[in-house]
Amino acid sequence: MTSIGTGYDLSNSVFSPDGRNFQVEYAMKAVENGGTSIGIKCKDGVVLAVEKIINSKLLVPGKNKRIQTVDRHIGVVYSGLLPDGRHFVNRARDEAQSFKSIYKNSISVPHLMDRLGIYVQNYTCYNSVRPFGIVSIVGGIDDNGPHLYMIEPSGSCWGYSGAATGKGRQLAKSELEKLNYEELEIKEAVKLAAKIIHLAHEDNKDKDYELEISWVSKEFTKGRHEFVPDDLLEEAKKFAEEDDDEEEEEEEEGDEMQE
Amino acid sequence: MFRNNYDNDSVTYSPTGRLFQVEYALEAIKQGSAAVGLTSKNHVVLVALKRNAEELGSFQKKLIKIDDHIGIALAGLAPDARVLSNYLRRQAMSSKMIFDKPIQTYKAVLSIADKAQENTQTYGARPYGVGLLIGGYDETGAHLFEFQPSGSVLEYYGAAIGARSQAARTYLERNLDEIRNSESTEALIVHGLNALRDTLSQDIELTNKNTSVSIVGKDQEFVVYDDEDVQQWLDKLDSVSNARNRDDDDDNNNNNNNDEEVKDEEVKEENAETTESAADAPDTTEGDDRMETDE
Amino acid sequence: MNHDPFQWGRPSNETYGAYNHQIANAGVPDNTTHASLDAFPKMHTQQPIITGTSVIASKFNNGIIMAADNVGSYGSLLRFSNIERLIKVGSETVVGLSGDVSDMQQIERILDELETSEEVYDNDGGDYLRAANVHEYLSRVMYNRRSKMNPLWNSIIVGGFYRDRTPFLKYVDLVGVTYSSSTIATGFGSHLAIPLLRNLIPEDKDYVKVDEQQITKVVEDSMRVLFYRDARSGDKYSQVIIKLDEEGKVVFEFTKEVKVENQSWRFAKDIRGYGSSQQ
Repeated sequence: MTSIGTGYDLSNSVFSPDGRNFQVEYAMKAVENGGTSIGIKCKDGVVLAVEKIINSKLLVPGKNKRIQTVDRHIGVVYSGLLPDGRHFVNRARDEAQSFKSIYKNSISVPHLMDRLGIYVQNYTCYNSVRPFGIVSIVGGIDDNGPHLYMIEPSGSCWGYSGAATGKGRQLAKSELEKLNYEELEIKEAVKLAAKIIHLAHEDNKDKDYELEISWVSKEFTKGRHEFVPDDLLEEAKKFAEEDDDEEEEEEEEGDEMQE
Repeated sequence: MFRNNYDNDSVTYSPTGRLFQVEYALEAIKQGSAAVGLTSKNHVVLVALKRNAEELGSFQKKLIKIDDHIGIALAGLAPDARVLSNYLRRQAMSSKMIFDKPIQTYKAVLSIADKAQENTQTYGARPYGVGLLIGGYDETGAHLFEFQPSGSVLEYYGAAIGARSQAARTYLERNLDEIRNSESTEALIVHGLNALRDTLSQDIELTNKNTSVSIVGKDQEFVVYDDEDVQQWLDKLDSVSNARNRDDDDDNNNNNNNDEEVKDEEVKEENAETTESAADAPDTTEGDDRMETDE
Repeated sequence: MNHDPFQWGRPSNETYGAYNHQIANAGVPDNTTHASLDAFPKMHTQQPIITGTSVIASKFNNGIIMAADNVGSYGSLLRFSNIERLIKVGSETVVGLSGDVSDMQQIERILDELETSEEVYDNDGGDYLRAANVHEYLSRVMYNRRSKMNPLWNSIIVGGFYRDRTPFLKYVDLVGVTYSSSTIATGFGSHLAIPLLRNLIPEDKDYVKVDEQQITKVVEDSMRVLFYRDARSGDKYSQVIIKLDEEGKVVFEFTKEVKVENQSWRFAKDIRGYGSSQQ
C-alpha cells in the first residue's frame, strides 16, 4: 500500500498517476475477509456453496440464508459486505423481471450478467457512490445449458467452470483446478463443493461455520435454482469430513514440501 | 492525534476495505440504552431500559408497535427509529391491503435492511444511527431479528443492543436452552428482565418507570407494558439491581466480577456516553471489521 | 348484468342512453399535430377481441372444482380451440378466466410475477401464497385498472383453500366487483350452470354435504348444457380439482381435454324462434 497518503485513494472514480482506481481495489479488500463462496459448473448443472461463519451461538441455525434466487433458474452467492450483496441481488431481480416483461421469456444467464456488469461498473465511475463491496458468483441454466459467472467490484465479469472468492479462495481455487468439468456430474459436484468449502475453512479455523449449498439442474430440480435437499446436504457434509485425517496428512506433507 | 482520512463519508473505503462512517453509525447504537429480545418456540419478548434526560423529564419510548403481530425495540437515535418504524408500518399496511394477510416478519425486516443499505453506498446521505430488534409472530412461527445501520439483518434466538449489552448477551447465551424451552410467557419475560438487569450500571435499578416489556406470539397480539403495568413483572424478579453490583460494593463496577466475557470494550463504552466524541477515529488495526457481518 | 362479454361493464342504455361511440372512435385526421392529439380523447379498450366463454366452479366437502372450455372466439367465429383458461398459481390455487384472451394472458404474466416475488425470492418457508391472497391481489389489479378507465376485460374465479383448510371460492371482474359463494360461474354459465349447481348446493353452507363424485357429475352436466346452448362454447374442456388427502395435504388434479360425453341433440328440433327455416 505504498500509495496510501498520496491522496489518490480518497475518492472513487479518481485515477492515480499510474492508472489505478484505488477505491475499487479497497472494495476488493472488503471481500477478501468474508466467508468463502464457490461455484461449480458441471455438465448437467451448476452448484453454489458458501461457508457461513457463525459469529454467535445465539444465531438461529439454518436461517440467515446467504444464497439467493434471482429468477427461478438463476442463483447468486457472494462474499463481502452482505448488505451490498442484497442490493446486487435486488438489481438482478429487477433486470430479470424487466427482461421478462418485455420479451415474455426468461432472461438468459449471459445476458443477465451483461446487464449486471454494466450496473456494477457504474458504481466505479462517480465520486457520489462507492463500488460494491462484494464479489458475486452467479449460476444458472438456460436454453444453452449451464452457466457460471463471477463478477467483481470493478464490474469485470467472466465465465468460469469453477469459481471461488472470499477468505479461503486460494485454497478453494487450487482444489477447483483439480476437477474434470467435462465429466463431472452434479450430485458429485455437490459433495465436492462441500469438501472444498470444508478445506477452505482452514483459513478461518478459529470460527465455526455453517454450510449452505444450492443447485440448478435439469434432472433434479427441473431447471430451477433450489437449496439441495437435506439428505443430500447431510451426505455431502459427511463426505467432506470423512477423510479429514487423510487430508490433514496430505497437507502436512504438502507443507513440508513447500518448506 | 492520528487523523483518519477515510472516515468523512460512507462512500470511501479505507485501505483495508472498511467503511468507517458505517462503523461509527454502529457506535451510535451503543450510546443508547439497552434493549433485549429473546424467543421461545411460540413467543418473542422484547424488553428495554428507558432513559430520561433529566429528573423531571419523561422517559424515551423504546418499544414501538408495527402491527398486531410485529413490534420493535430500539437503541440509538430515536428519530431514526421513528422513520424506520413508520416505513415498517406502511409495509405492514400494504401487505394487508394488497394480499389480505399480515406481512411476514422476515420480509418486513428485509425491506428496511435494503433501505438502510442505500444510505451506505451513496454520497449525501448518512447511515441510520439506530439498531433495532424486531420481534414478530407469523405463519412461520416466532422470529427475532437484529437490524443494523449497515443494512445487515440476522435472525437470533436472543439478542441485545445498546449500552453494555454484552452482559445481556452473555446471560442469554448461558441460559439459551432454558429460554428456548420456556413453557410460559412469564418465564420468558423474567429471563428477558434478568438479561436487561445485567446491563445496568451500579447507580440504577429496574423500576416501573424505566423498564418497558413487550410480548408477541401465538394467540397473543403485540402488547407493551409500561409504568404500573410493568410492576407485575418486576415483582417476579429476585432483585431489580445488577448482580455484579449487589455482590460487591466497590466503586469500580466492572472489574470485580470475573466475567471475562464482559469485555474492556464495555468500560470504554461507559466513558463514551459522557466524554468520547463520536468523531474519534478507532484504530485501523485489522480484524475488527464490524460491517462484515459474516466474519 | 348482461353476461355477453361484449356488454360487460356498460352503463345500461335505458338509464343513461346509448353510448356515443363517436367520442372514442372518431378517426385521427391527417393533419394531426401533437397539440391536437393531446386534446383528443384517449382511447382504451372498448370491447374484448378474442373471448373465452364461461368458467364454472364449486366447492365440495373436501375442496373445490373448476372447469372451462378451450375455445377462443373472435366474435361469433370459433377462432381457437386450444386456449387454456385455468391457471395454477402457487401450489394450491387455481385461477379461471373468461373474457378477453389477450388480457387473460396479461393477467397470467402478472400472476407469474406475483408467484416469483412471493415464493421464489427470499422464501422463508411455509408462508406461501394462498387463494385468498391471490384473489385480494387480483381484485386490487382489476379495480385499479377500471379506475384508470382501462379495464382488463375479464371475469375471474379464484379457487383454493383458506389457511384453516376450508375451501375458498371467490369472484372478481373487470369493474372490480367481488363476491364469494359456494357455486360461482361467469358469463353464460351464470344463467345455465348456476341453476344446476344450486340444485345440488342450494345454500352456501350446503357444500359440506356434497362429495367429489356428486359435484363432478353436475359439472359434467353443466358443461354439456353449456355446449348445447352457448354458441361460443366448445365440447372440450379443462377441469381442475383441488382437494385434501387423508393426511391433509393438498392434491392438485389438472385434467385437460375432457370431452363433453353423452350428447343428445334430439331436443334441438323443438327449438323455435331463432329464425330457423323449419318453424
